[in-house]
Amino acid sequence: MEMAEPRIGVYVCNCGTNIAKVVDCDAVAESAAQLPGVVVARSYKYMCSNPGQEMIVQDIEEHSLERVIVAACSPRMHERTFRRALESAGLNPYFLEMANIREHVSWVHDDGEEATQKAKALVHAGVSRVARNEPLERMSVDMCPNTLVIGGGIAGMTAALEFADAGKKAYLVERLDHLGGNLARVDLTAPYLDSARDIITDRVRRVTESENVEVLLDAEVRSLEGFVGNFKATVHQNGRPGESGSDVALDVGSVVVCTGYKEFDASRITHYGYGKLPNVITSFEFERMLREGRVETKEGKPPQYVAIVHCVGSRSEEFHSYCSRVCCMTAIKYAREVKSALPGCYVSDVYVDMHAFGKGMEDFYERSSELKTLFLMYERGGHPVIRKADPGDDCGMLIQVDEQLSGEVIEIPADLVILMVGMEAREDSGDVARLVNISRDKDGWFIESHPKLDPVATTTEGIFIAGTCAAPKDIPDTVAQARAAAARILGKISVGKIEIDAVYAEVDEDHCSGCRICNELCPYVAIEYDPETKRSHVISALCKACGACVAACPSGAIKARHFTDEQIFAQIEGVLA
Amino acid sequence: MAIRANPKLIDELEPYGAEDVVKCYHCGNCSAVCPFSEAPYVFPRRPMRYLQMGLEEKLKGDLQPWLCYYCGECSDQCPREAEPGETMMSLRRWLTSRYDWTGISRLFYKSWRYEVGAVVVVAILTIIGFLAFGFSQGSIDHYDGPNAFLPSSSIHIFDWTLAIVLLALLLSNAARMWWFTMGRDKTLRVSVGTYVSRAYLLVVHFFTQKRYSQCERKSPWLVHLGLMLSYVTMLILIMFFLAEMASGPGVDWRVHVFGYIATIGLVASTIVFLRRRIRKSSAAYKHSHESDWIFLILLLAVALTGITQHILHRYGVDVAANLMYVTHLAFVVPMLLLEVPFSKWSHLAYRPLAMYFAEVRAAGLEKAEREAAPAGDLQAA
Amino acid sequence: MRIGVFICQAGIAEAKAVNLEAVGLYASNLPQVEVVEVLGLLPKVDPDEVAKRITESQLDRLVIAGDSPGFFKPAFTRAMSLAGGEPDEVRLASFRQYGADTANSTERAKAIVACAVYGVPFSLAAVPAQTKMHPASLVIGGGIAGIQAALEIADAGKRVYLVERTGTIGGHMAMFDKTFPTLDCAACILTPKMVAVGQHENIELMTYSEVESITGSPGAYKATVLRNARRVIESSCVACAQCSDVCPVSVPSEFDAGIAKRKAIYIPFPQAVPNAYLVDEASCTYVQSNGTKCGACAKKCPKDCIDLDARGDVVKLDVGSVVVATGYGVLDASVIEPYGYGVHPNVITALEFERLTNASGPTGGRIVTKSQRLNKKTKAEEWVFDPEGAPPRSVAIIHCVGSRDRNYNPYCSRVCCMYSLKFAHLVREKLPDAECYEFYIDMRAYGKGYEEFFQRIKQEGTFVVRGRSASVSERDGRMLIKGEDILSDRVLEFPVDMVLLAVGLTPTERSDQIAAMLGIPRDQDGWFTEADYNADPTGTERGAVYVAGACQGPKDIPDTVAQASAAAGGILKGIVSGRGVDSLGSLSLEEIEARAKTLVAG
Repeated sequence: MEMAEPRIGVYVCNCGTNIAKVVDCDAVAESAAQLPGVVVARSYKYMCSNPGQEMIVQDIEEHSLERVIVAACSPRMHERTFRRALESAGLNPYFLEMANIREHVSWVHDDGEEATQKAKALVHAGVSRVARNEPLERMSVDMCPNTLVIGGGIAGMTAALEFADAGKKAYLVERLDHLGGNLARVDLTAPYLDSARDIITDRVRRVTESENVEVLLDAEVRSLEGFVGNFKATVHQNGRPGESGSDVALDVGSVVVCTGYKEFDASRITHYGYGKLPNVITSFEFERMLREGRVETKEGKPPQYVAIVHCVGSRSEEFHSYCSRVCCMTAIKYAREVKSALPGCYVSDVYVDMHAFGKGMEDFYERSSELKTLFLMYERGGHPVIRKADPGDDCGMLIQVDEQLSGEVIEIPADLVILMVGMEAREDSGDVARLVNISRDKDGWFIESHPKLDPVATTTEGIFIAGTCAAPKDIPDTVAQARAAAARILGKISVGKIEIDAVYAEVDEDHCSGCRICNELCPYVAIEYDPETKRSHVISALCKACGACVAACPSGAIKARHFTDEQIFAQIEGVLA
Repeated sequence: MAIRANPKLIDELEPYGAEDVVKCYHCGNCSAVCPFSEAPYVFPRRPMRYLQMGLEEKLKGDLQPWLCYYCGECSDQCPREAEPGETMMSLRRWLTSRYDWTGISRLFYKSWRYEVGAVVVVAILTIIGFLAFGFSQGSIDHYDGPNAFLPSSSIHIFDWTLAIVLLALLLSNAARMWWFTMGRDKTLRVSVGTYVSRAYLLVVHFFTQKRYSQCERKSPWLVHLGLMLSYVTMLILIMFFLAEMASGPGVDWRVHVFGYIATIGLVASTIVFLRRRIRKSSAAYKHSHESDWIFLILLLAVALTGITQHILHRYGVDVAANLMYVTHLAFVVPMLLLEVPFSKWSHLAYRPLAMYFAEVRAAGLEKAEREAAPAGDLQAA
Repeated sequence: MRIGVFICQAGIAEAKAVNLEAVGLYASNLPQVEVVEVLGLLPKVDPDEVAKRITESQLDRLVIAGDSPGFFKPAFTRAMSLAGGEPDEVRLASFRQYGADTANSTERAKAIVACAVYGVPFSLAAVPAQTKMHPASLVIGGGIAGIQAALEIADAGKRVYLVERTGTIGGHMAMFDKTFPTLDCAACILTPKMVAVGQHENIELMTYSEVESITGSPGAYKATVLRNARRVIESSCVACAQCSDVCPVSVPSEFDAGIAKRKAIYIPFPQAVPNAYLVDEASCTYVQSNGTKCGACAKKCPKDCIDLDARGDVVKLDVGSVVVATGYGVLDASVIEPYGYGVHPNVITALEFERLTNASGPTGGRIVTKSQRLNKKTKAEEWVFDPEGAPPRSVAIIHCVGSRDRNYNPYCSRVCCMYSLKFAHLVREKLPDAECYEFYIDMRAYGKGYEEFFQRIKQEGTFVVRGRSASVSERDGRMLIKGEDILSDRVLEFPVDMVLLAVGLTPTERSDQIAAMLGIPRDQDGWFTEADYNADPTGTERGAVYVAGACQGPKDIPDTVAQASAAAGGILKGIVSGRGVDSLGSLSLEEIEARAKTLVAG
């Protein structure tokens, strides 16, 4: 049946000059004005700004628009903004279409002529599609007030405590038999040499004594099903030796992933001779020495020369190209600690760039220079070589450095060499990512939903990341992130409900043959098969409307709301017109 | 071939006044603000680096500390308060102690007690010596003429013997300096011709200190020049016109007028320097090493006692004049015997030498480049 | 158990230090304490001597007390192991960490020592009482930190008052062109949040306003907010710009970092929130002449929403908690004479360049050198950025301008290296033929994707020179830059067309008043001090008062946003549970000691 063409408004954004510098926005607006159903077509500097949105709202009222096209940036950026604008004018938000003429046009084309043509085509596509858009209603589900925290390090414990203090339940799952994570292996923290042990003791005791936190040690999350606000997690807890473990089922509304990092394996770098030279040790091995008060060589003598080597496995194309962020200050800390434990000892510090960027750090660096720490700079990706000293030498080892600040090749004496091993993603980070359905970057760190403005959320709603599982980080930044993640969740908890997008796939059960092809296909495990009725159906809250099932369904029984064949074909026709 | 770093050298340099060098984080500000820092001599950062890493041999062979006149620009602008200027100064002290083969200078810089001790001992010996000599052959109430207490002829001989001893010491140290900085450097190939053709620089630099005048602040150069010239004038007068100087009681204007000018110059400039050091008026005077004080005080004492004995003699109070003469010598002898070869005074000799060497070295490097150049062109062609 | 207490000061300003004798005396009366030694300032602790001491008095536990006792811990731990004791029994009592670093915090210092003696972390024993929470919150500062915190709380359905000193929210981030390392356009990611704040039903936005005083107790604060006279009725202004068209006065625009002019009645920038004009009384002829002159804008306004005689008023607010997000200032580059900022025309600061290269800036994003033109009013030649001006053929960027420098800011400003690299990218992108030089000391590319960004910039053909350039002078119209290239050991001196100064961050000039008003301490550099550097980076001494973003120390955007959310989290905790926490200061020595005792028992 043919319905009357709805009244359409078209708005072309200049995005400052981001779009206008390539695309002739006025021309695009003019051509749009000629399209069927278009009543108004305007071009404006910033549509996303208040006056931009005002413009749309006013037009909807004055010209009684029924559909709106905004030709601007990617819908990921501003679809929500403009949908809100439509709603505020009493129009169904799904009557909005965005034509991406920035990422898809102005940012990727130089030729103004062609770019403008493409922009026109995209707008045309939007116009012919939007006419066929259907009004959709969002639904909302209850928010389960419990939270699952994966990882019992400083980040995990901090997050768990936030919920506990708010009087909400948190399940803290740790794969080891004790809490504390990597920080529990550290004695003092840079730059103020505060006691890491006190921080951990404090957290562990609060967590274990709080009735709101249920700590599951020696346990692993085996599966996570459901969707934001209503997850079902299965945690497997290993029993004591002999006993078989047990599975615990948990209902949680959100998940905070705090699985932390693992240190780089120094033996991968041959020219440092780690594992061959007894007195070449890693930072964590040195932490143990400090805790035991035994800063000594393997021969049991206090060293006369201690050397610290930075960027072990970091900032090198061979291993990890990224900076591990904490090693520089930890190295300076070691220099201080050696001078304290062994006043007569000479410390040299072999670095690339001194990353003393945080509060109190530059001062810390300077004070350690005053203590006569000898800093030697080697080139990024360079190869300082550690070798055994010759019989005549007054030291056990010699480190050869192509020293950048003097341009000389320098040999420095050392009895004990500390390798500042960098951070790397845990080997099981892939499994964790799959488990909670989030993505990882090329280095294996979890990817946040926006690197600048949304550092703790992920692209999967209800799943948050905090601390070093997202990238190397020091303690204050980790704690801040853990609390930020908790804040997000507490916000949802206090609202109590979660809105779910109205765009999802639907199975027309009359046409479904129960072949179950879609069940396997769905990346979000959103399709359930009902053996009774022998039909599949979609759990709308889980569905991300990727369309895989729609395309695959042999009997064409699955339809994606807001992406119907009719709408898509109209869009294609629009482009080709 | 790698050079061995020696983290301990820093400790050794501390008594010479280089305790702040450890703070340097190598931003390069100092080398960029220094008016003398230009290829091939880029400092103070590079020598500071050598010092931090304890590259003793490199430092020993380094002329750059001598090319610095301590105007203090670098220290004023240093972001880490690492005192580059003072570091260069202390390196000069250290080098002096390295050039000196007797090891005396090393003692002096290690602790001021040694230096003061030595000064006192030499002074006492001088007093005893000259009193004994005086009474043995003359009478205390005769200043000059027959049976003068200290006849100029004998003093003249004494002066020359002393001069020869000092010259020997200085030359031997200078020779060591040459060996460290030029001679032992196999890569450096400079002809005798280059040495000869540049020799005039030695004189120029010695008498004009012209590089000093390139500093932002001019007054230190002027005062320094004044001090140096007065000193040299006095030296010439003593070494060649002692008889005329000692003659009296009438004023012999041909020589005495120079004596007066030189004395005024000495007294004035030493007082200026003392005041600046006391007031720490600028970076260059903030950190005074004990040896700086000892040198200035001796110099002032020499000048004052010298002029007093002269005046006393003019007024015919010969007894007092003679006693004052002995006191004068009690300051002169230690000042020459200890300061010239072993301490601050030696700068006067090493600086011009260093600049001379530096120019020769630069010329040598240039020559080497020129010789290398055609080959390069061939490759290019 | 036999305990020895050793008091060592690592040496912060002695004047501020607590009364060590008093603390020592107190410690000696604590149970099981056998030995108390006040070693004083910067003691040289010899492990062997301490070891002797331990064996003599058979000590099982050592407590090191002082401003930063950790600096001495390794010596004592070694001593303990030399004496055959238990190294884990060396406890720290850090005055600095737990906020006892002023003369009048001797009581706190005692409490800290007591906890260490009992072997209980201070933070565990010193837990302030819970208080009733007023559900509304106050956020001071409308930059990205304030915006994030406000949205976080408002989205949880709770009331927020957002007070911003200037005419719009957005802060420094709104001025930026792109953000490192992703090169997102700052406006594109910030404006949605600004709009959201403007539209949010739970946020009451008070721009052009300042918090005058805060009284009351945690959970129940009374804030007095001075709402300066905007002289334009926010609700009815449609930002049609007709008022500013007729305004005869033009003054340098704060938003454009002074490189462009604005009128006396103006809107900071087109996407400002609230999207309404305001009158700058300092430059408005009408206001300055007490209504005798001008007033053109009021006559022109089609919605007549301009009231030039409007007076500011004072609003009183009841709030349970406060987020301080007052951000940062920038060092005045002209104080660094060798760089000749303000003397040589084409030496410009980072913020100026952000506006210059910004699409919404005065040159529409064209990077140009300043051109000279005659100012008709003053009849004087002046240097201005003209969209038609000549683009620079070479640009030098100087890092650490006023940072890492004892003569100015001893600290590192944390963001300059990265934004300088971003500048290099923008220059090379917009002017592919232009040469670009970076003079740096250490390239601090520490964050996620930063190091990769640094490598990319080098590949793009920017020359990075290790060595902080020393001076800029002028030679026949070009900027002559001089500095040492440390890696090649040469002193470079060459002319460029434009020099960008990566000027460091400083605390805002009002931060001392704000600190006094809220009763939160500041560190030696003037940044607000957090409750605990590691364990509580967004809390403060004062209960229910939180710090977020650069006002606590220089910070990039992601770290700022994380902190802002964390601060909001602290508040949401209280709201969700209905209970906030009192100030640490409310606890007495006896209370803390008592609780420490029970914790040992438990």
